[in-house]
Formats: sequence, structure tokens, C-alpha cells
Amino acid sequence: MDTITVSVYRHDPSSEKEGRFVDYDVPVEEGMVVLDAMKYIERHIDPSLSLRWNCMAGKCGSCSAEINYKPSLMCKARVDSFKGAKIRVTPMAAFPLIKDLATDVSENWELLKKIPKFTPKEGLEKPWKISQQDIERSKEFKKCIECFLCQDVCHVIREHHSGYFGPRHVVKAASLDMHPLDALNRAEFMNKDAGLGYCNITKCCTEVCPEEIHITDNAIIPEKERAVNLFYDPLAILVRSRRNRSGKK
Amino acid sequence: MEIYLVEVFDYDLVIVGSGLAGLRAAIEAARIGKGKLRIAIIAKNQLMRPHSISAEGGSAAVLYMDEGDSFDLHAYDTIKGSDYLCDQDVVEFFVRQCPIDILELEHWGIPWARRNDGRIAQRPFGGHSYPRATFAADRTGFYEIHTLYDTLLKYDNVDKFHEQFVYDFLIENNRFRGVVAFDIPTGQIRIFKARAGIVATGGLGRLYGYTTYSHLVTGDGLAIALRRGMKLKDIEFVQFHPTGLVPSGILITEGVRGDGGILRNAKGERFMEKYAPTKKDLAPRDIVSRSMMTEILEGRGFKGPGGLDYLLLDFSPIGAEKIKEKLSQVREIGAHYVGIDPLDSPLPVRPSAHYTMGGIDVTHTGFTGVTGLWAAGETACLSIHGSNRLGANSTSECVVFGKVAGEDSAKWLLTNSNSVDLSEGDKKYAENFLADAYRDKGDYDPYEIKRELWTTMDKDAYVFRNENGLTEGLKIIRGLIEKSGKISISEKGNVYNQNLIASLEMKNLVELAEVVVKGALERKESRGSHFRTDYPTRDDDNYLKHTIARRADGALNISYVPVTLTKWKPEPRVY
Repeated sequence: MDTITVSVYRHDPSSEKEGRFVDYDVPVEEGMVVLDAMKYIERHIDPSLSLRWNCMAGKCGSCSAEINYKPSLMCKARVDSFKGAKIRVTPMAAFPLIKDLATDVSENWELLKKIPKFTPKEGLEKPWKISQQDIERSKEFKKCIECFLCQDVCHVIREHHSGYFGPRHVVKAASLDMHPLDALNRAEFMNKDAGLGYCNITKCCTEVCPEEIHITDNAIIPEKERAVNLFYDPLAILVRSRRNRSGKK
Repeated sequence: MEIYLVEVFDYDLVIVGSGLAGLRAAIEAARIGKGKLRIAIIAKNQLMRPHSISAEGGSAAVLYMDEGDSFDLHAYDTIKGSDYLCDQDVVEFFVRQCPIDILELEHWGIPWARRNDGRIAQRPFGGHSYPRATFAADRTGFYEIHTLYDTLLKYDNVDKFHEQFVYDFLIENNRFRGVVAFDIPTGQIRIFKARAGIVATGGLGRLYGYTTYSHLVTGDGLAIALRRGMKLKDIEFVQFHPTGLVPSGILITEGVRGDGGILRNAKGERFMEKYAPTKKDLAPRDIVSRSMMTEILEGRGFKGPGGLDYLLLDFSPIGAEKIKEKLSQVREIGAHYVGIDPLDSPLPVRPSAHYTMGGIDVTHTGFTGVTGLWAAGETACLSIHGSNRLGANSTSECVVFGKVAGEDSAKWLLTNSNSVDLSEGDKKYAENFLADAYRDKGDYDPYEIKRELWTTMDKDAYVFRNENGLTEGLKIIRGLIEKSGKISISEKGNVYNQNLIASLEMKNLVELAEVVVKGALERKESRGSHFRTDYPTRDDDNYLKHTIARRADGALNISYVPVTLTKWKPEPRVY
């Protein structure tokens, strides 16, 4: 049977100063993904390997890691896409390491809490009427599985302590702002409190999104634009607020 | 290995599990508690990643009575679908509650699909005689979880604990006092002392190798309940979803058939016309799964990898536009996991273990009989699914009865000021349990035991069952239970020790397997998902009753209790 070599970063910070790469030879099966290789290692070679995984179908967002330097879901990275070359798997570098490939992403729970919640307009007639088109618009952002690969790849988060919440959280704000019956506008919060101004739209987040959300074009840029209008241009504020009102009916 | 001192938390209510039922229960308890109750929700995974996110097709609710749907019709469909093993009084309550809770989700921001006039759209689903599956594309459970999680964030007095492995409940003199867990990232032992608890840890799906269940669904709450002498009800009824994707078992939603997709055998025939002339591909899941296995066993399937022979799910009648709009995730799954875009070719499918109809025996409010302890969702058995659940009824059940359990427990807490106490003995117990789990007790490998379990369950307790297979299966499983006490785990560290978790989960699974197989062996009839080739008909005279399994003095005892019928008399089940 064909095998492939998977080089996995191993490090238990509670007992080891430094991490190391360990190579494992794993038999290849048709349709195999990198997560299958990890499961094989855990069950047959080295059960001390730690990683987070659950649904195996690209839906739960647990198994984020960096595969050959690219932030990826292990359950979606097909082994055959590496064409027999060595596969290098490391934990997401933007987050504190727990052990091996498991990282502590809990800072995101705290950021998420701060974003103003869904707040329906008052006095809406029931049952609510919404067009399918409007549903589709907000659904693009609601698709986010919170894998945090976009946070991992974001150089603003990796290299600067700027207070920028990061792409996932802009997507969250956009998902709420795009709800046609939501009463709030989160652009001011995103710019003043969530540091959106630090994003210089390099689009790295969009490239790694397993849900193919157009993070930069459809979430970040519109939230930035709305803020510009809000803060700096009184006429635009007026126009925009009218447009919002009619558009959100 | 090093065992830490036990960390103790003190709550009024602890909710174990963060799927639809657990989250909904937490919201309701917080809402009713009005800040007066200290609530914790703890889960084995990160709270927003439960298995509920995998629910795809929809949530059943009667929304359009003016167009011909009715509570009686939803109830009748559910009861007939259950092969008459439902408690009809509970079903009648359930169907009336569904629309209220489905609309509540809308008001919390869920993107339900719409009709042209802007009102909520619904799709047809198996066994339902009206299109009443309310849906959000093909990711209904995912959107429900995120909507509930966002809503829960509005309540400050609910503490959230991610990645906690619960290994026991503290129960003394039939009084719940809290749960014992360890924090997966650190290994820290924790006791969540609480005046009340709600178990919502899901079903027992990972009992099977070929399954739609996520990795972490290992029946932990059910296994603890069994060990603690609580009653488990109707556990032999396991649902096999007709369309698990071969070879991974990943769920392909029934919504595909709801929207017009059809099953074909190797001869290209639409074989469901033969087995269910009226409902065809949208017959209930037990019937479709049996029909599929008949086709495969009679040689009209395709040869699959590792014995996973399969049939084809043909999307072409749906039309490209509708596939793109309503089934985008299924397309992605096909493209990604088998390299097939269902727009171009059919997907290979086979019945895959999907749902646990049984659970902890509870009252209609989810009360377990242990003072202070409730259960909700797939973990609980309210008997609204009987021997076969209809699609789209489980996500609705979780929301409806999660809310009920949250409400009932919160009201009980507010009117009952009894406190619970911990003793040094409890802490010692928590420490010793874990120390024992780390200790080498023999040479058996937990992963090997799990593999053997999967092979046995996939063979002997699958769609078709018989006395010989079940007897042999029971023997093997009892052997595995014995082996599960003689294992060693090689990883002894405290931090994120998956080796330890895998071995504890394995023990839970083998003990539950005995309940499934023993219940199946003793039910000498065929009803719903439980089909005995040696007793191929339903036997209402002897088995129109619920199975109760209870462990006492080391032995597993099976007994039966009556089914509650209101206005629907059992009749032959024809579709």
C-alpha cells in the first residue's frame, strides 16, 4: 500500500520548552483527508497526539491547522492534492498553543460577546415578511463556521497588537447588519471599538475561508464604507440613513 | 501523570451538553430565573460546535392551517411513522408547541427560507403528509445552533465552560448534587456542584462504525444514567438514515428527496415505487432503509469499498437552479468527499446510523425521576418518536423540550430552596475515578475494542436483525465490556489527553451496546426501525409496549411499560 509522510508539530508547553516535528508514515486510501491521517496516527502509531476535531464534514470548524503553511481545515484538505509530497502540519500560529495541534481560540468568545446583538425593529407586523433575496444576503455571512482560519492568517492580528477584532468578527457584524429587520448599524462600533480601520484589505482572509465567504469585498469593505459615511460626511450620512431605511423595510 | 486538587464550582443549575436542547434549555432557565439563578452550561466540545450543527433538512411545524395542515395531521404522521410506539398525549403537546418555538427562532434572527410573498417556506419530508419542514437551506441545525448561541449571549448569568469531559453525576439518595468533570485543555478535575441539572448530551451514534454522527457523540450522558441505575427506554430503536454518503457515512439530507431527488438501484430502477407505491422515496426512513438493504442484499446494488455496497441518489429531477439554491452544502460535500458534483452525477449512498429514538426515561417535562435532574433532546426519551422518528421532528423536539426542561427546572429551583452539599468523599471519589482511568489494568487497546464494537454493531444490530446475529453480538459485546476494564492507555499527560478521553468514551459505548442488543434480542417482533427477519411482523398483542432497561447489581434487566394511546388506534402501516 502507498504511504505518505506527514510531519506533525508536537509540543506540550506544560512540560516541554520547545516543540519538534515528528514524521509519521501513513497508508494512503482513496479520498483520504489530512484529518484521516491524524486519526490514523492517533489510533495506530502515537495516541499522545492532540488535536481538536468532531464532524469530519467541514461543518463544525474544529480541526483548523496550518497545512504546508496554509491555514486549512484538516477534514477538507485532500491528501491526494499534495501529490505525494511530504505534508507538514502545524497549529494555528495566531493563537496560544494548548498542545500539538490544539490551540486556545477562546479570546474569540470574548470578542463575539461584545458585538451588538440582533435587535429587531420595533412594531413589526407578524408574521414577519422577508424576501428570499434578503435572506440570501445575510446568509452568506451566517455561513461562517468559526474555524478562525481568517483570524489565523490575518497579519494585523499576527503581527500587531492593534485591538482589531479580526475578519471573523467583521463577518459577524455584517451578518447582523444585513438582516433586513435588524434595527442597528454596527459600523460605528466596528470602527471605534473593534479596530476595523487597521485592516488594510489584503484579502488573505477571503483566500483561506473554507466557506468561501467574500469576507473582504462583502463584509469588511461595506462596513468600512458605512463608517466613513457615518463619521466624516454629513450629507452621505443623511443619504445613507434614508437608503438604509427604505432598503431595510 | 499528576492529579490536581479538585476545583469546585457552585451553581443552581448545570446543563451538560450544548446542542439544540442544551442551549435552548439554558436560554429558558436564564429567562425564567431573571438573574436569580446561577447557571452553567458545559460541553465536551466548544459550545458552538455540537453535533446538532449537522442537522440539515428542516424542523417540522404546522404553520399553514389555512392551507390544509393541522395539528392532528402532524400528530397522526408522527404516530404512524413511529409504528404506534409513541405516547400520543406527548405527541399532541409537541405538535402544538412546534410552531411557537419555530417562530421564536425567527424572532431571534434565524434565516428561514421564504416563499415568494415573504412568508416562511417549508419543504416536504419523509412520512409527513404536508410539506412542513421549516428550513434554512440545507444547514438548518447549524443556523439554529448559531441563533441560539447568539441569543444565550444576551444573558449574563450563564457561565459557559468549553471542553469539559463529564464522567459522572453526583447522586445520593436519589437526589442530584452536581457533575464531575475534567477540563480537557488542562486535565483539571472539576466538580460542578448544582441544585439541579439537565442532561443533553445527545444520542449514542458512535456505537456504529458507519454513521452520520460526529466523532464526539458517544452517549456519555446515557451511559452515566445507566451506571447510576436510571431507566433507559426503547434503546434498541436506532434509526438508519437512508442516505449516508459512501464511504464516509456523511449525511446527505432527506431534503434532496423532499425536493424531488430519487433513489436508483444498479439497474437504474426507481425501486421505491415497489416498496411504498404512494410515498415512494419519501416514505419514512425505516422503510426506505429496509428497501435499500433489500435491493443490496438481492444483488441490485453497486459493489462498494470495504463491504459498503451502495445505491445511487439521483438529483437530476430537482433541476439545477433549485439544487444550487437549496442544496449548496450537499453539492460541496459531494464534490469534496467523493469528487462528484450531484449536478452532473448521482451520489453513492447507503443507510447510515443516524439517530437514537430511545433515551433516558423521562416525564413529559423531561424530569428523570432523580430529584433535581432533567434530560432533554436526543438523550431523553419522551416517546414522541416511538420506534421510528420522522425526519424534521428531532430538531423541533430539541427546541420544544429543551425549553420545557429549562422552564420546569428553573421554576422548581425558584420555588425550592433546598441546598446540596459536597463532602470530602466526593472530591476523593472524583480524584480516584480519574486516577483509576489512567492506571494500566491490562493489555487491551481501547481503539481496538472500539473497532471490534463497530464491526459487531454494523453487522448484527444494523437494519436487519435476527436471533443468531444478536445472540452472537451480545456475547461479543459482553466480552468487550470485560476487556474495557482491562485496558491501558499509553499517554499519561494531563493536557488535552485524547487517549484518556477515547478510553472513557469507549467504555460508555460498549456498555450502551449491551442495552441496544439485549433490547433487540428480547423484542421478538418487527416495529419501525427494529426489524427481525425471524419475526418479520409487528406484534401488537405482545409488544405494543416500551422497553425499559435498567442495570441493578451488575445485571441488565429488561422490562416493559404500556404505551399511551389517545385517539389513534394502531393500524397497518402502508405508504
